[in-house]
Amino acid sequence: MLESFFRTIAPRHVAIAVLLTALALPGAANAVPSFARQTGLACEACHTVFPQLTPFGRAFKASGYTLFNTRKVSDIDLLKQSTLSLSDLPPISLMLIGSESMAAKANDAGSSKNSTDFPQQLSIFYAGRISDNLGAYVQATYDDQSGSFGMDNTDIRFADVVQLEGHNVVYGLTLNNNPTVQDLWNSTPAWGQPFLTSAVMQTPVVSPQIEGAMAQVAAGLDAYTFIDQSIYVEAGVYRSALQGASVANNGNLNNNIISGVAPYWRLAYENDWGKNSWEFGTFGLDASLENPTTPAGNALNLSLQNAPTDRFLDIGLDTQYQYIDDDTQLTVTGRWTHENQHLDASFAAMNADNTSNSIDLESLVGSYYWHRKLGATIGFFNLSGSTDATYLGSANGSPNSTWANFEVDYVPWLNVKLGLQYTAYFKFDGATSNYDGAGRNASDNNMLFAYLWIAY
Amino acid sequence: MKRKWMIVPLLSLAAGSAFAQDKGVAPATIHKVTTVCQNCHGARGDSVSGTFPRLNGQQAKYIAAQLKNFREHSRSDPHAMAYMWGMAAELDDAMVADLAKYYASQKPTEPQTGGALAAKGKEIFLNGVEADHVPPCQACHGDHGEGSDDAPRIAGQHADYLKHQLEAFRARLRENEVMHANTKDMTDQEIEAVVSYLAND
Repeated sequence: MLESFFRTIAPRHVAIAVLLTALALPGAANAVPSFARQTGLACEACHTVFPQLTPFGRAFKASGYTLFNTRKVSDIDLLKQSTLSLSDLPPISLMLIGSESMAAKANDAGSSKNSTDFPQQLSIFYAGRISDNLGAYVQATYDDQSGSFGMDNTDIRFADVVQLEGHNVVYGLTLNNNPTVQDLWNSTPAWGQPFLTSAVMQTPVVSPQIEGAMAQVAAGLDAYTFIDQSIYVEAGVYRSALQGASVANNGNLNNNIISGVAPYWRLAYENDWGKNSWEFGTFGLDASLENPTTPAGNALNLSLQNAPTDRFLDIGLDTQYQYIDDDTQLTVTGRWTHENQHLDASFAAMNADNTSNSIDLESLVGSYYWHRKLGATIGFFNLSGSTDATYLGSANGSPNSTWANFEVDYVPWLNVKLGLQYTAYFKFDGATSNYDGAGRNASDNNMLFAYLWIAY
Repeated sequence: MKRKWMIVPLLSLAAGSAFAQDKGVAPATIHKVTTVCQNCHGARGDSVSGTFPRLNGQQAKYIAAQLKNFREHSRSDPHAMAYMWGMAAELDDAMVADLAKYYASQKPTEPQTGGALAAKGKEIFLNGVEADHVPPCQACHGDHGEGSDDAPRIAGQHADYLKHQLEAFRARLRENEVMHANTKDMTDQEIEAVVSYLAND
């Protein structure tokens, strides 16, 4: 009986997976030429190859994108305090990504194996200084899968620096719309490798909330400090801030609304020596979601006044090693994200078999560039978790998935990248073969993806 | 690492106390050093990465001349162009002089002089290599590589930085006719040897 049930929902499951993928994947991580225009620094100061940050790039971000070396429009008051400090160039940038995706097998009889996305993404940025201690990275993106133009990653910062007994202490506040988009390392979810994947690739039925589910649908305010470019401490809270949908107090019901606030925390330590830098850290998010929607697509639609919640506690460990000189740019990132799911609401509504589940996502990605010109990236990913057929809606009830990602890049100019990427799934939603009960194999989701990524 | 700063009340943290010894340097310069220069050149000019030169104890006249070269785009080796053209673009002469004074007054890093090639490097440093038209480095850079009004400190610099500069002079990537003449016939091994004698990494 269960088998026939899942057979009937399989097409819907596929559609939901595609939708969740489109919603959950944050916009492509970006390097922004307006920062270069503002600082007079070439891309290589802040990036090995965009968008991977160097130690200086991390310092620039922590200091609120405020460093500038161009002429400015200024004003002072009678006490000679600065009241205006505008760059004479507006910090505007454009980015375009065009791509071709070729899946091993079409999703269903009504789909094609191939997809041409031009643009896959077209973005406009305000990225740069606002005042002496205020800077912003604001991205708005046209996404061809949704056919709409909307807010993408956003990070508005206040930052300052003080000297404490010889220690350089940067401190600040960030107002952002994606947990970890404000982070300084490429080992956390929002700016993690690979930076770009196919917009139409199938992805596993579930992943931890902090791995993209809240991108652009939350607003976070975090306080942070970065001491001697080494010790990083951050804490803050997120609230739901859905785009294009009414939230909370206008009488319309919504799903997956953060109940109250979701605490976020981050600790990291970086040691730099010679051409090397090594970071390790931890991050986490504790979010209770009202009227949760399950990965299977089942939702509660009760009054938000007393809406039941599922609680998701995410704890991550991450590390990043970099070796940077003129010839070689090597970055290796590793991350383990563990999520405890307390499914009180979904279980009570019979949308889950278990009252609590857990999932773990591990990734190890290494990228090598030669003269910032030719690059190769290899990544391995493993997702495992509790079996819960009703909650996940997958045929065998398991989320277990394993895949690898291979990419070669050519960077003819520092703001132009050509990439060829192959993603190979060894296990998908709990099985190597017939994972959906309808004969589809994990390898059918393998994807060859070619892209052009330019930023100006 | 000292921990007691953690309990210092935030409002008593003004930069002044930590830099009380930097007498005669304008507060705006200290601010520039601690918020901008330090990101690459390290606290008090003692940088971590060999991509960025150590500035602690560097000759003031040399620092000022280079900053003006960057500002006027008359030094155009790749790193100068990528990093310093932008950084120096809006520096006025007073700030240039003050930055030079600040870094020159910092305690220099001593050379290690312990590498395998250091003995050969010392020989080149003291006597040059006549066959390759390499004059003794000490003639301009001082008995201990400490520099002078006319030549920079080279002792205690990062090995990578020294090596790249010698290669850049040799290839005319960095414009300096005197240093090009001095290095144009230098072999890679001779460069490695001199660097091994002078550097600290």
